[in-house]
Amino acid sequence: MSEPSEVTLADATTDAAVLQPNLALVLERITDGFFALDADWRIAYMNPEARRLLRVEGDPIGEVWLEAFPKARGRRFEREYVRAMRQQTPVQFVEYSATAECWFEVKAYPSSDGLSVYFRDVSNRIEAQRELEHNARRQRAIIDFGRAALGGLSYEQLVEDALDVVRDVMEAATVDVYRYDPVAETFTVTASAGWAAGTAFDPKRPPLEHLRHVVRFGEAFVCADLAKDPRAAELAGLRANGAAGLIGALIGTPYQPIGALVVATAQPRNFPVGDVRFVESIAQTVAEAARSHEAYQRMRQVIESIRDAFVSFDRNLRITYVNARMARFWGHTPGEMIGMPLQELARVAGAAAESVMAALRATIEQERPRTFESRFDGSWYEFRVYPFSEGVAAYVRDITKRKEEQQRIIDLNQELERRVEERTKQLELANKELESFSYSVSHDLRAPLRAIDGFSQALVEDYNDQLDGRARNYLDRVRKAAQRMADLIDALLGLARVARTAIVYRNVNLSEIAASFAEELRERDPSRTIEFTIQPDIVVKAEPHLMRAALENLLGNAWKFTRNVGVARIAFGRTSEGEIFVSDNGAGFDMTYAGKLFGAFARLHAVEEFEGTGIGLATVARVIHRHGGTIRAEGCIGSGATFTFTLPEHPDGAAL
Amino acid sequence: MNKPYILLVEDNPDDIELTLRAFEKNRIVNDIVVLRDGAAASEFLFDRIGDGRGLPQVILLDLKLPKISGLELLEQIRAHESTALIPTVILTSSKQEEDLVEGYRLGVNSYVRKPVDFNEFVEAVRQVGLYWLMLNEAPPTAGGGL
Repeated sequence: MSEPSEVTLADATTDAAVLQPNLALVLERITDGFFALDADWRIAYMNPEARRLLRVEGDPIGEVWLEAFPKARGRRFEREYVRAMRQQTPVQFVEYSATAECWFEVKAYPSSDGLSVYFRDVSNRIEAQRELEHNARRQRAIIDFGRAALGGLSYEQLVEDALDVVRDVMEAATVDVYRYDPVAETFTVTASAGWAAGTAFDPKRPPLEHLRHVVRFGEAFVCADLAKDPRAAELAGLRANGAAGLIGALIGTPYQPIGALVVATAQPRNFPVGDVRFVESIAQTVAEAARSHEAYQRMRQVIESIRDAFVSFDRNLRITYVNARMARFWGHTPGEMIGMPLQELARVAGAAAESVMAALRATIEQERPRTFESRFDGSWYEFRVYPFSEGVAAYVRDITKRKEEQQRIIDLNQELERRVEERTKQLELANKELESFSYSVSHDLRAPLRAIDGFSQALVEDYNDQLDGRARNYLDRVRKAAQRMADLIDALLGLARVARTAIVYRNVNLSEIAASFAEELRERDPSRTIEFTIQPDIVVKAEPHLMRAALENLLGNAWKFTRNVGVARIAFGRTSEGEIFVSDNGAGFDMTYAGKLFGAFARLHAVEEFEGTGIGLATVARVIHRHGGTIRAEGCIGSGATFTFTLPEHPDGAAL
Repeated sequence: MNKPYILLVEDNPDDIELTLRAFEKNRIVNDIVVLRDGAAASEFLFDRIGDGRGLPQVILLDLKLPKISGLELLEQIRAHESTALIPTVILTSSKQEEDLVEGYRLGVNSYVRKPVDFNEFVEAVRQVGLYWLMLNEAPPTAGGGL
C-alpha cells in the first residue's frame, strides 16, 4: 500500500520521547492498522484503521489481546508476537486473519514496556499472486499436456491424462469426457475422473441441454452455481451428486463436434476467464488427439487388414511401425519391434537381408519407389518400397506360390515346346511321306493308265480292220475308264494339297473370282442360258489359291447341276449376317443325305446323270475348315441347292 | 554318230514305246537314243563330250529315274559348258509344283506333263518336236549335226 507509512513508522520508532506529542496524531491518520500492547499483553492503543480492519465494535483498550481476538490463539500471530517480546526483536510476516477474513502483512516492534504492531490488508496482492501462480500452473499444464499429446501416448492414455490434469489444476470434483453422436444427437460418457465410486452421475441421464448448447455454438457453458442458475434445471441429477460450479467445453468445432469436456466443482465458483480458457484449451488438444487418433486408427486398420506384411523405417532404418502380420513373421509382437534397427533383423535373415537393406537405403536416397523380389529361407518375397519424408515403408508379400506357379508354367511351356517340336518333326516327316506318296501316286499310278489308254488307242489305229464294232466299243470303254481314273487321281491329289498348303492370309476378292469363273463357264458351253447374279466386292481374308479352288468347285457344281434347267440361275453373294453363299435352281438334292455331301467320293447322283469325281465338295469343305470357317448345304430335289459358308473375320484371332 | 538325234531318258518301257509312237505319229524322223536310267544317260553324255562325237539336239527327260533322277541329270547337264545349252525338255507324269519350280530353276527349257489320253500326248509331243527340232535355232555349241 503506502510508502509514506513506512517512513512514519521508522520515525515513530527512532525516538518516541521526541515524537511523543505528534505520535497520537500521526497514528490516528496513517492508513496502516496499528495497535500497542503493554507488557501484560493488554491493548494500550488501537488506531481507527486497526479497529476497522479487525472489525472492533466496542472499546478494546485495556483488554487482554488474546481475549479480544480469540481466533488468533495458537495461530502465527500469537507465536510471532511472543517471539518478538521474548527476544526483543522486530518480526514481520504475512498471515490470513480469520478474524478479519483477509490477509495481513504484519510488522511488530518490541520495546521494554510492550509491543507496537503495524499491519495492513494485503489480500489483493496475495489474491493476484495466487491467481498468477494458478495461471502459471494452467499454462504449465497446457504445455505439458500438449507435449504429452505429441508424444507416444495412446489416445486412451491421453484422455486419462487430460482428466487428471484438469481435475488437478481446477481442483474439480469431477471431469468427464463425452462423445457426441451427430446423427442421434446424443452424448455418451467415455471417460470420467473424480466422484467416489457410486456417486458418478447417471450416464442414463446425461446433462443434455447445456452440452447441446456447447456443441451448437462452440461456446463453453459456464455456471458459477448450479443451485442459482435457471439454465441448470435439467442438471438436477448433477447437482444431487454434489456438483456446484460447472464448465462445459467443446471438443472439436461446431462444424465437426467430437464431444465435450465437462468440469464440475464441489463448491460454487466464480470461474475466472483463465479457467474457462484452460478447459477449452485442453479440450482442443483432446480434439486434435482424437482426430489424429481416428486417422491413425483408420490407417492402422488398413495396414492391419492388408494381406501384405507392412513395416516402416525411419531414415536410420529403425522400425517405426510394423503390422501384426510382419511381427508374427519375426515371432515378435508389434510393440517389441518398434525402434528395432533393421540390422538386428538382418543378422537373423543373413545374406538375403543385405540386398534388401541396400535397396531400402537406395530408396531413401533416390526418393523413388521400387519393387523387387528376394529369396529368404526357401521362400520368395516381393518387396514394394515407398519413400516418404521421415523414412521408408515396405509392403512385403510371400510370392512363393506365384513363383512356383511361374516356374511350373515355364516348365510346362518348355515341355510343351519340346512336344510341339517333336510333334512338328513327326508331322514334317509324315508330310514328307505324304508328299512322296502323292508324288508316287501322281507319277506311278498315271503311267499304267497312260499305257492302257495309249495301247488301246494303238490297237484301234493299227488293227482297225481286224476289230469289229463291239471290240472298238470295249476299247473305247477301257480308254474312258482310264481317263476317269486319271481324273480321280488328280482330284485326290488336289484334296491332299488343300491339307498341305500353308495358309497365308491375304485379301481375296471372291466376287472377282466368281465373275471370271462365270465367264469361263459360259464359254465352256455357250449354248446354255445362264443368269449369273454376283454381288460385287465381297472381300475376305483367306489363302487365295485355296479359296479360288473352293469357289470354282461350288460354281462349277451349280453350273453342272443346272444343266437340265431351261434358264439356269446361279447366285453368289453375302447375307446380312455375313454368310457367303452360292445358290442355284438346278437338280438340288435330298436333305436326308445332306450330311454325306461333303465326304470324299460321296455322290448323290449317278455318274451318267452328272459326271464328277465326288471329291469336289470334300475339297471345298476342307478349304473352309482349314480357314476356321463352317459350311452347310440346303436343297430340295428339283428346286436347287444353296451352299453357305462363313469365314472368321479375324483369322487366328489376330487383328489384321 | 554325227547325225542329229534326240536323247530320250525314260525307264518305263510302255512310256518309251508310246513316246516313240507319238514321234512316229508326228513324223519326226530324227534318230532317237533311249537310255533307261539317269546314270546311263550321264555316262553317255560325258563319253560324248570326251571323244568329240555329237551331242543330242534335244534331250527329253523323265523325272523319276533309277540311280540318278531326272533333276540331278538336268543339273549335271547345265553344269557342264559343253552340254549347258542343249535344249532339254522334262517329260513327266508329275505335275507337282515343286518339280516344276525346281526344273525351271535348274534351267529346263520346257516342262511337259504326259497326259493319260494318248491323243493329247501325241499333240504334246508334236508341239515339243515342232518347237525344239524345227523352229528353234540350236545354239552353236549344242550337238545338232556336229
